[in-house]
Amino acid sequence: MTAVLEVSHMRKIFGGIVAVDDVSFEVRAGEILGIIGPNGSGKSTLFNCVLGQLQPSAGEVRIDGRPTTGTRPCDLNRLGVSRTFQLLQVFPQLSVRDNLIVAGQEHQGSMTSRLFGRADAGLSGAAGRMIEFFRLSHLADEQAGSLSYGQQKLLDAAMAFMAGPRLVLLDEPAGGVNLTMLGQLRDRLQAYHAEENATFVVIEHQMEFVMALCTRVLVLAEGRIIAEGAPHDIRRNPAVIEAYLGH
Amino acid sequence: MTRLGGILVVLAAAAAVAAPFFLKPFGIFLLSTWAVLTIAVIGLNLTLGYAGQISLAQGAFVGIGAYTVALLTPAGVPFPLAFIAAGFLCFVIGWLLGYPALRVQHHYLAFVTLAFTTLVFLVLRNEEWLTNGIYGITGTARPNLLGWKTGGARDFYFLCLGTLALLSLATWWMLRSPWGRAFVALRENPVRALSLGLDTRRYTLMAFAIGSSLGGLAGALYAPLVQFIEPNSFSLGLSFNLLLMVIVGGSGNFFGPFVGTLIALLLPEWLRVTQGYYLIVYAAAVMVMMAFCPTGVLGLLERAVRALSRRKVTRAPALTGGAGP
Amino acid sequence: MASFIQLLVSGLATGAIYALIAVGFTLVWQTSQTINFAQGEFVMLPAFFVLAAMNSGAPFWLAAIIAIVLSALVLGILFKVVIVDPMLKYGVLPLVISTIALSLFLKESVKDFYSSQAQPFPTLVPAIDIHIFEAVVSTQSLAVLAVAIVTVGALKVLLDNTRLGRQMQATAQNATLARILGVPVRRMVLYTFLLNAVLVAVASILVSPIYLAKFTNGETLGIAAFIAAIIGGFNHVRGAILGGVILGVLDNLSAAYISSQYRGAFPLIILIVVILLRPQGLLGRVEERSV
Repeated sequence: MTAVLEVSHMRKIFGGIVAVDDVSFEVRAGEILGIIGPNGSGKSTLFNCVLGQLQPSAGEVRIDGRPTTGTRPCDLNRLGVSRTFQLLQVFPQLSVRDNLIVAGQEHQGSMTSRLFGRADAGLSGAAGRMIEFFRLSHLADEQAGSLSYGQQKLLDAAMAFMAGPRLVLLDEPAGGVNLTMLGQLRDRLQAYHAEENATFVVIEHQMEFVMALCTRVLVLAEGRIIAEGAPHDIRRNPAVIEAYLGH
Repeated sequence: MTRLGGILVVLAAAAAVAAPFFLKPFGIFLLSTWAVLTIAVIGLNLTLGYAGQISLAQGAFVGIGAYTVALLTPAGVPFPLAFIAAGFLCFVIGWLLGYPALRVQHHYLAFVTLAFTTLVFLVLRNEEWLTNGIYGITGTARPNLLGWKTGGARDFYFLCLGTLALLSLATWWMLRSPWGRAFVALRENPVRALSLGLDTRRYTLMAFAIGSSLGGLAGALYAPLVQFIEPNSFSLGLSFNLLLMVIVGGSGNFFGPFVGTLIALLLPEWLRVTQGYYLIVYAAAVMVMMAFCPTGVLGLLERAVRALSRRKVTRAPALTGGAGP
Repeated sequence: MASFIQLLVSGLATGAIYALIAVGFTLVWQTSQTINFAQGEFVMLPAFFVLAAMNSGAPFWLAAIIAIVLSALVLGILFKVVIVDPMLKYGVLPLVISTIALSLFLKESVKDFYSSQAQPFPTLVPAIDIHIFEAVVSTQSLAVLAVAIVTVGALKVLLDNTRLGRQMQATAQNATLARILGVPVRRMVLYTFLLNAVLVAVASILVSPIYLAKFTNGETLGIAAFIAAIIGGFNHVRGAILGGVILGVLDNLSAAYISSQYRGAFPLIILIVVILLRPQGLLGRVEERSV
């Protein structure tokens, strides 16, 4: 069975610095893969190379067996790949509802149908369901910029899920979120994963979040994979502990 | 749009319709110029305010539109057809210009449009066999539309006003569609938009091409309005002026062009006391405005209205008994 | 052959001037994300400082020094502190628009407060024609070439061989990294603006004898600077020099073989061609898409 995501010998060099050094891994359908590692270990760079935001110096990315190295993010999105961001998540002046409609409208029809079709691109219903799923109903018509940080994170995830992606890459979804929101976020992510049988790849710093959510964990340090396995094994891996303590 | 805003728009529209009956011919001419230039500024507002690109060629597109009509109508082409041809030609040229320029970042479009404006000027000036060079083209006829002769000042004004209304409505409708939402997304957070499948490059290109075609349509009305066009009218100066009109009114605001163009046209009249230094004052005003309220006059008004309504709310609690916002 | 050498020499002279303007433009852009649309007017203005000083009785050499100092103050420090710094928080777009307004402001100010007529401008050396291999070359061209080459040479020494210069380059390439390495970034950015002001002042003094000092000079010179910077590769100082020289030579050669009516079109066509075929310029890297 082909892996949903396959990264082979990925390298990314900035000037003299090797940010990602010969990284290869696979993500199978239905997995929730966590990628952890100390600051500067190359996690975000790896994401950006997979998602077409950066051109890798070497290596290949395959989605469902199809090579997608360097494909533009908007084209990748239409192949069923989605992402959340560490920062800069939402469209502040649009309402929550409009944020979600934008997130979904580019997946259907064409430029022409979007110009001459319905003002909401037929997505009001889907947006409403997503709003309910993420428990944001009381904020549906508020400007996204006025939401709290944690609420914006939820909206960010909702937007990533709007188009029904099969592969979602989450970049530090728990960053800066308070404990109560964290629980809700993890709960919603697991619910979505269960309902849609989606595949997740999650970059995170917060150990508890990763341990509770992920089925398998990769550890990156200085651009290289130093460990791989089930969450509780990783926790006790001496090389991993060394990498974190050494910084 | 708020209720207050809606009332203001209706009042302004009524004033626009009633005004020519109270003005002398020069006043009507000024108003017609306002109507025609606002069309061009609406186009530039699309490019700049919605897609976030700087175009220094809007003046050149007005020129292309003007010359298209000035050359086609005497050759027997009916005005409505020439009008559409002007818009279509500018759309295509805009697309061709924008396609390579928008592949790169760094506001390359600004440079390309700058170069293009100068090129257009050179062609208009040098190709005398076509454009009559620096001697320009005079006497472009005002159209006779299904029996309505628009030769008189007032009649032609209503043609300009009507066209402005039509094109504004079309732009409004486009901005209400998913395209409008895409433009806002593109402007607010292009990286996020891209990751959601939004083809930022194509939307930006469309905004620029449509904006340029609106410039051409404005030019198509400009020729019969002023009845004498020559290359100098459409040089970089006009493009700068249109850009400043977008800024002053409020870039990215739907009604910005209407306000900005009005201010820019009336300014030389108000600044008569400064004896022709008005360009300096104008440029200085833009720099100051960019530093303190980059959202232009309408942005300033919006802020003022919001501040006023906030004060009203804080005064209300005693009456609402704690129901509060 | 003779005329070719003439054109080559005058082309290199013009190209060297363009290079000076383009380098300053590129440096300012690299270090502070400021696309200075008023760069052309920055080159137009110092010449009028010189003329004003001379009108007050100063000899040319003194007036030139005064102009360079004034330029550093107004086009360097004042520009950064009054216009660029307050605007940067709003993003690149408002800043670019401000520089567009600034170019209009400077142009109209010179026209209204000094003169709308082209003013004759003293040459560096008396203009004598000398003969090299049957070619008639003006001493003026040679003098311009000499001064420009010395300036560019000094610039390269500054940037590559001094600690200050390397710090400026580090700031230009990656300000965050530079800050971590202990480079006083804010001061470096200021120095870049000062450097640009000095370069445009020198370019102004070199170019005004040829073009005459006129308030409209900024238009052509500005476009030349942008085109040179783009040809060389927008993010590359060495490229700006290369771009300037190429543009100057091609421009002069084209003047001989293309009708004078379309003379101004040639650089513009080069610009459009470069953007179409090789947008990263000759030396630039293909830009990463934004993260």
